[in-house]
Amino acid sequence: MGPMDRLISGPWRWLVVPVLVVPLGWVLFAGIGKDPREIPSPLIGKPLPAFSATTLDGAPFETDALAGRPALVNVWASWCAPCVEEHPLLLDAAARHGDALAMVGVIYQDSADNARGFLARYGDGGWPDLLDPSGSIAVELGVTGPPETFFVDATGVVRYRHVGPLTAEVLDEQLAALGLDR
Amino acid sequence: MIPTLGHVAVVVGLAATLFAAASFALGGRRADPDLVLLGRRAMYVAFALALVASGAMVVSLLTHDFSVQYVARNNATTTPPFYSFISLWAALEGSILFWTLLATGWAALVLYRFRHRAPLLMPWVGLALALGAAFFFAVMTWPGDPFTRTTPIAAEGNGPNALLQNHPFMGLHPPLLYLGYTGMAVPFAFGVAALITKRTDEEWLGIVRRWTLVPWIFLTAGIVAGAWWSYEVLGWGGYWAWDPVENAALLPWLTATAFIHSSMVAERRGTLRVWTHALVIATFTLTLVGTFLTRSGVVASVHSFTQSAIGPWFAAAVVLTLALALGLLVWRLPELGDTRPHGRPVSREAAFLFNNVLFLAVTFAVLFGTLYPLIVEATSGDRISVGAPWFNQVNAPIFVALLFLMGMGPALPWGGTSWRTVRERFALPLLAGVLAVPAAWLLGLRGWAPLATIGLAAFVVVVMGEEVVRGAGARARSRGENAGTAVVRLTTRNRRRYGGYLVHAGICVMAVAVAISATAGSDVTTTLAPGESARLGGYTVTYDRLVVERLASDARVTETRAELTLAGPQSGSLHPALRDYPNSSSLIATPAVRTALGEDLFVTLLAVDPARQTVSLHILVNPMVAWIWLGGAIVALGAVFAAWPDRRRTATVPVPVPAEA
Repeated sequence: MGPMDRLISGPWRWLVVPVLVVPLGWVLFAGIGKDPREIPSPLIGKPLPAFSATTLDGAPFETDALAGRPALVNVWASWCAPCVEEHPLLLDAAARHGDALAMVGVIYQDSADNARGFLARYGDGGWPDLLDPSGSIAVELGVTGPPETFFVDATGVVRYRHVGPLTAEVLDEQLAALGLDR
Repeated sequence: MIPTLGHVAVVVGLAATLFAAASFALGGRRADPDLVLLGRRAMYVAFALALVASGAMVVSLLTHDFSVQYVARNNATTTPPFYSFISLWAALEGSILFWTLLATGWAALVLYRFRHRAPLLMPWVGLALALGAAFFFAVMTWPGDPFTRTTPIAAEGNGPNALLQNHPFMGLHPPLLYLGYTGMAVPFAFGVAALITKRTDEEWLGIVRRWTLVPWIFLTAGIVAGAWWSYEVLGWGGYWAWDPVENAALLPWLTATAFIHSSMVAERRGTLRVWTHALVIATFTLTLVGTFLTRSGVVASVHSFTQSAIGPWFAAAVVLTLALALGLLVWRLPELGDTRPHGRPVSREAAFLFNNVLFLAVTFAVLFGTLYPLIVEATSGDRISVGAPWFNQVNAPIFVALLFLMGMGPALPWGGTSWRTVRERFALPLLAGVLAVPAAWLLGLRGWAPLATIGLAAFVVVVMGEEVVRGAGARARSRGENAGTAVVRLTTRNRRRYGGYLVHAGICVMAVAVAISATAGSDVTTTLAPGESARLGGYTVTYDRLVVERLASDARVTETRAELTLAGPQSGSLHPALRDYPNSSSLIATPAVRTALGEDLFVTLLAVDPARQTVSLHILVNPMVAWIWLGGAIVALGAVFAAWPDRRRTATVPVPVPAEA
């Protein structure tokens, strides 16, 4: 019996299993839960880019209108299913905080008629919704797709960007960070 | 109502597969055919339930039932029926449902076909297949429920992923790939059964060779169709980018191909048995790793559409499968006998052994390159990616060496040979190979890899041609048949061998086409105003006008299209476009491709300036690309020829077993 045969029939052969399985498992599990494409918004810690636009009601809008109080900028579209999901949370936040929180919607790649239909169906919180037909506001904000929400502090600096539908936890936490309690 | 039916089918499917697993395990232990029959019937039921659940999903998609979250996220009222239908496999939860359908389908097919055969192996084959199916039903019951409902119900859905609603090939490429992936569970199940029952003789190998070849055909066709899809849709002018998910499909293909070769040695010479088992285990594990990479979003890729809670489930499945199967193999290691190949260095089995070593080298290189970003991140926290140049550099020499062995293997006899035979058999092929290189050089081809590829392809094709001529000649002489009849009878009497030759010929065609298209193409990037032209390799592309309009098939999509006139070896009009899908943050390029046997003209619209009406175009001349697809078709054809049931063998009476299905 050569050394090879002894290895093949001896107890040491069992080492093969952990030697192959453990590193593979480690590598696979280590990658979970991290988004390879997640790039934190370059806007965080910087002032919100200034833009002017027309609201859904036809009124002019300047970012100056947000100055002096915490603001929430929500990018949405009528064709976006998760926007429907998060809409009641936004209505609730508007009702709860009133004038203490400035809110503004940015309509992403959608027509004014569709957007009005959405508000008529799911509720209009009364905050201005901006038309962005050329997509220039979306580009300024670096939006990858609706819904996205930016939290801006009273000095006009972007503090947080949330991609995807808001949850009650994220909303409360971020508004609290801006100094707004429940 | 319909989604509820689907959900119930999934949950009952989980119960059915678990019941089947228990029946098979008990039936195998007690050698009780009634229990095995029960398990088999439970698996038929599981397949029927997967069919019901998939049907429920398709109906929900076609009727745009946005109360189902999956439908709301992947469908819109304007989505055409064809794309609604194929949305079954366009996103995470649906693709798992589709996967389950195929996996239970394979399981039911195998259990049915073997209802009277291999009575000692089948309970354990059934157990492995039932547990695999149970895993997928469990994923759909907990983290990846395809029938999750949402309220309030949206009036309009998000629409399908823009990249996936752009080309009808999406209806073909994923099902082929999935059929290949899921089918690899069958050889795995037989391998496990052989280890459990200690019946590691030639029986399981004989069965498994055909049952590997069939999913191998699907996997091959799926990979080629995927390359074709990415060529026609992604607009960068190429067909293979070493994207993690392309690699995920290639990895099990490599080990399955290695298995198909090593199993011939194992069957003929009784050697390489441990090795052959290991390849079966590796192939199935790699299909799971592939699913994990595709579906967990751990690596950035064109395909990583999703990020979800199923990641840990799949990682756990990979670890558990590998640990259990490897444990079984290690347990039986002392009984698997001879692990070292006999025979001389110049013999067919030696060529096959080298072939396996090289396939393993490519597998390791591709696996390492694919997982490297994960390894780096696990150790240092950095995010990096491994690019195509690395994969090309590492793998090109190995593929060239494989091509060489492809010529050596078939012409070398089993067990070794004399120097005289070698001289006789390889003189002409060698001459052909040596002459092909300067000929290609004179035709303008440069670089060692493409020249070596052409030389070796000529060598391989002549080796195989000589083999066929010699075989048919002997037949014609001894039986007085004419040449045509002799070739047909020779090849159809030994389908495995000559089907294999055809596969090799197809691979040669593909290798030459890849080598030429990758090195001899040309391209230009240019910005044109209306009326201006660009020239490239004998073609003149004239930009006529810009058209912006909504798609007739889906009004939510705006298409910006450059209307071009083409003159040169091919002529006519071209319409490369950028499509703006409301649910995609970036514009999706739709390239215009003119395919011909000699070369393709490929035009992508890069950007548009609406104010000045100018367009930026990327124009490529891609030689020989059509031959990649044709080569793929030859490979598939050859494999079908090889796998085609032999009339004489199926005519043998099956061993009667008392229990009837």
